[in-house]
Amino acid sequence: MSVGDVAVAVLLALGVASALMGALGLVASRNPYDQLHFTGPATVIGPVAIAAAVLVEEPLSSAGIKAVLVALIMVATGPILLHATARAARIRERGRWVVLPAELKTEEGPSKSSRP
Amino acid sequence: MNVWLIATTVLLVGLLPCLWVAMRGTIMSALAALELASTITTLALLMIAQGLRRDPFMDLALVSAILSFAGALTFVRFLERWV
Repeated sequence: MSVGDVAVAVLLALGVASALMGALGLVASRNPYDQLHFTGPATVIGPVAIAAAVLVEEPLSSAGIKAVLVALIMVATGPILLHATARAARIRERGRWVVLPAELKTEEGPSKSSRP
Repeated sequence: MNVWLIATTVLLVGLLPCLWVAMRGTIMSALAALELASTITTLALLMIAQGLRRDPFMDLALVSAILSFAGALTFVRFLERWV
């Protein structure tokens, strides 16, 4: 087993573990915003680690280039999708996207009153 | 069975929690589960293509990455405005 094989195994384990942790976090949390947070590592760490594993095994091949392209697309589109979903969740919940001053006051109220 | 296919098998177990949340959660939780499931599916297609040494199969992962983004954005627009 060469150094390259070990590197491929480690990178694959990292990519798979990030996706599985995200899936477990999705089940563990109830709030949609928390659940969206858990999808983040899977869309960023997973593709990058797996594309790196493909590159370690086959550098400068068509498979390597396509794997890098997939990783780039997922890293670029993941945060956009996450933001759009969180925005939709807030609009469904509150009926608007903008934060009103009254909303900030009610959320900051208890923390201010607890200060000495 | 090489290391790629073993890793793919382990990765696909992650679809089960997504299925559970999509079935039992609220509609926004289900959308988050759908997004994670499409990520896992794309990664699995990528690893299967590499595990079987079939370069053209990489195109499936590429198409899946683009179309899952477009599909999820469509769901987001509908859930934000109408449904």
